[in-house]
Amino acid sequence: MKHAERTFGDTLLKVDNITLRFGGVKAITDVSFEIREKQIFAIIGPNGAGKTSMLNVINGFYHPQEGTITYKGNPRHQMKPHEAAETGIARTFQNVALFRGMSTLDNVMTGRLLKMSGPSMRYYHNKLANMPVINYLTYPAMWFGDFLLDSLYWGPYQKEEVAHRKAAEEVIDFLEIQSIRRTPVGRLPYGLQKRVELGRALAMEPDLLLLDEPMAGMNLEEKEDMCRFVIDVNDEFGTTIALIEHDMGVVMDISDHVVVLNYGRKISEGTPAVVQADQDVIDAYLGVAHEEDLIET
Amino acid sequence: MTADTFPKLLDRNARERGPRPAIREKYLGIWQTFSWSETRAEVETIAHGLAASGVQRGDRIAIVGDNRPNLYWSIVAAQALGAIPVPVYQDSVASELAYVLQHAEVSFAVSEDQEQIDKLLEVQETTPALKTLVYCDPRGMREYEQDFIHSLDEIKQAGEKHRAANAGFYDAEVARGQGSDTAIFLYTSGTTGNPKGVVLTYGNLISMAEMSVELERITEDEDTLAYLPMAWVGDCVFSIGQSYVAGFCSNCPESQQTFLTDLKEIGPTYFFAPPRIFENILTSVNVRMQDAGRTKRRLFHYFMAHAKKVGVKILQREKVGAGDRFKYWLGELFVYGPLKNTLGMSRVRRVYTAGEAIGPDIFDFYRSIGLNMKQLYGQTEASVFVTLQPDNEVYADTVGKACPGVEVKVDPDSREVLYRSDGVFKEYYKNEEETRKTKTEDGWVHTGDAGFIDHNGHLKIIDRAKDVGVLNNGSMFAPKYLENKLKFFPFIQEAVTFGGGRDHAAAMISIDIDAVGNWAERNNVSYASYRELAAKPAVYEEIRRNIEQVNADLAEDPELAGAQIARFALLHKELDADDGELTRTRKVRRKFINERYDNLIEALYGSQSEVHCEVETTFEDGRKGVSAADIAIMDAKLTGGAPLAKAG
Repeated sequence: MKHAERTFGDTLLKVDNITLRFGGVKAITDVSFEIREKQIFAIIGPNGAGKTSMLNVINGFYHPQEGTITYKGNPRHQMKPHEAAETGIARTFQNVALFRGMSTLDNVMTGRLLKMSGPSMRYYHNKLANMPVINYLTYPAMWFGDFLLDSLYWGPYQKEEVAHRKAAEEVIDFLEIQSIRRTPVGRLPYGLQKRVELGRALAMEPDLLLLDEPMAGMNLEEKEDMCRFVIDVNDEFGTTIALIEHDMGVVMDISDHVVVLNYGRKISEGTPAVVQADQDVIDAYLGVAHEEDLIET
Repeated sequence: MTADTFPKLLDRNARERGPRPAIREKYLGIWQTFSWSETRAEVETIAHGLAASGVQRGDRIAIVGDNRPNLYWSIVAAQALGAIPVPVYQDSVASELAYVLQHAEVSFAVSEDQEQIDKLLEVQETTPALKTLVYCDPRGMREYEQDFIHSLDEIKQAGEKHRAANAGFYDAEVARGQGSDTAIFLYTSGTTGNPKGVVLTYGNLISMAEMSVELERITEDEDTLAYLPMAWVGDCVFSIGQSYVAGFCSNCPESQQTFLTDLKEIGPTYFFAPPRIFENILTSVNVRMQDAGRTKRRLFHYFMAHAKKVGVKILQREKVGAGDRFKYWLGELFVYGPLKNTLGMSRVRRVYTAGEAIGPDIFDFYRSIGLNMKQLYGQTEASVFVTLQPDNEVYADTVGKACPGVEVKVDPDSREVLYRSDGVFKEYYKNEEETRKTKTEDGWVHTGDAGFIDHNGHLKIIDRAKDVGVLNNGSMFAPKYLENKLKFFPFIQEAVTFGGGRDHAAAMISIDIDAVGNWAERNNVSYASYRELAAKPAVYEEIRRNIEQVNADLAEDPELAGAQIARFALLHKELDADDGELTRTRKVRRKFINERYDNLIEALYGSQSEVHCEVETTFEDGRKGVSAADIAIMDAKLTGGAPLAKAG
């Protein structure tokens, strides 16, 4: 499976002293770490440790009150979601967030939206918004040029559509989901939906892929498949992967570097072997009686 | 130069119909077409590449994988060099693979992907002769650093270089090939013992392909779906033999899971499938109709009833009244046409089935909606064709008349069927004893099947000759005949019957989880697993009714009336090829099952109503586990006045 010695590139993403508050609640306190290119990076921790919040900070969904995020050598106080997406950060969600009524292929194609221009993009936007195509008429400024070009079967837009479709098909081939290409994703079993979601993220050709509990709720066979795909993505495309996972077996098997969060603080960091042996980590997972807790109660 | 080998036929096709499609593959969601001239160029490049990698005339080359143009090309490229391709079943586990590769002394293997390479690497530890491995799909192969593993693209690049340095090499090698040369080794799955390597010559394959092309008027305009295992003789004769002789196009599906979608997209004009596939398709049609809206369902049942009445007659051009014809035409418009389209059979001109008996209901269903479905009887040793049903002489329970150029006879004592033709194999590789046992000096081949020729001159197969036994009450016991009758019921997936040398016949049955599961859902029978469903008394009741129906049928035939099934049990697991219970072509391995389930079988002949059964099972990844259950045993009612003569 994995080679004993893996080499990584430069730092792709660095977070420094991030603190995130919701009102009076501190979700993340003073957390720093760095993710290097081609790494499989895992964030673990007990429930409520702030793992998903951390991912949301990275892709700009949450805005931390303190700290900096340096992505591709570009430091900023906070990310914006569209910036994150445009600069090559893709993600999947803990609860599958697909367009349930659309087919697998269309879902994967939406991953190409940012790379599209002109009518192909509007077509998928319309599809997402359930808008009839007649809404083209509401774009009077673009009407003349685009609508005419678009209404022709041949032309530059056909080329563009074909190129995006090819990229989407390559993802479908890679994830071995050809047989469900035309199936509405709402009808698929959970494990396959997760795979389609990964497909949509891959269609963006991301540099950094954030996976929020990719194996949650899967049976053993589905987990093994998913592990295989995560490793293959990393191997074939050189994509850097940051994942959150509860299944310790999975984390220890596939990740290169692990950060452990507990109550919003980083309590340990290192290779899986180092983290596994760390007493703080063991305490966090198994629970330990705190003296001050005893006094208070 | 007469085209007496496949590489020569390829040359002829590239010359005469160069731009026409030769093979298609669905890749990235699109059917990619390769013409005959492109195919020839690819084959030539691969042949050069193989030669550059040291492949010599007479070397054996294993071909492992799903149906892919690259693998078909590798077969013909090997043949062009005078090497012998040995296709193996792509789903066989490493140990099965090892036997074949060792026996055939394979030195070179072309495989589809990483999965197959992993198996071959495992095999290689015990097969020192296997020197070079080639893969087509580079996915996941990055970290394999062994210097004897190459991608097919590397082989092709080496081929380009080799061609530049050796002009005329390919043509000269092809010209050296002769019709009497060995074309291919095909290993039969073998219901008993180890597989045997059937040696077929170009003469065998091409003569049978030519005969069938002429007989069935197959043209270069056909489209077929190449989806059956490449190691099976049928695929060799249909996808290479007939395709090269007639010049039509074979289409490789995208993956095994997309077979039905691909079938619909291609709409073959000529389709072959074993009965099991037709059964599965029909089952899925019925299941989906049960879930359809009421109007659709009523329309379907109304017109299907009409098709049952007149459909077959119309197909056979018999006299049918104008009113019925009109109603059938309406049915075609509303039901049969759309149904055929959904199944991918609207263009189909001929449908063949073989390998097992097909249920009369299934057979009539397809024929009644206007598909010209016919049965044939064949063997690997015969290069497929022994008998075939002529148009308008089609029956559900026969396998047809001898093909032109094939002689068929039945041994009067043993009832064994024998045949002789140009397609008869050369020998079993390195197995002179079996060759002599199977093939007589004057070319007759023992099929091992018992049968007889009926009053229409059609051959009827009842069972394996060695399996036909006698019950203690003196009546003939043909286990497969009973099993086939049982399997025609939708709830029964596999059945094994016992009775030779016993007092009565008994059956061990594994249920069809899809059909029974659907039934359970509609009848509010809750279950969590196959095992639990198979143990439900309500399911036992349903199966008992099926068995009593079979008993009633048997009672009508004086020779078989004594072989009615008195007791049965439902297995807690499906019979599975991975556990060695079935062959890869899903035939029951009787001897193995007798040993494996001996306590269950004893209980079928005892008086207890329940037995504990424990068997070892193999999972897909090769790990083993134990599957145990208490299995109930039930009596079934016998029909007819002749009660069983209980011995003692």
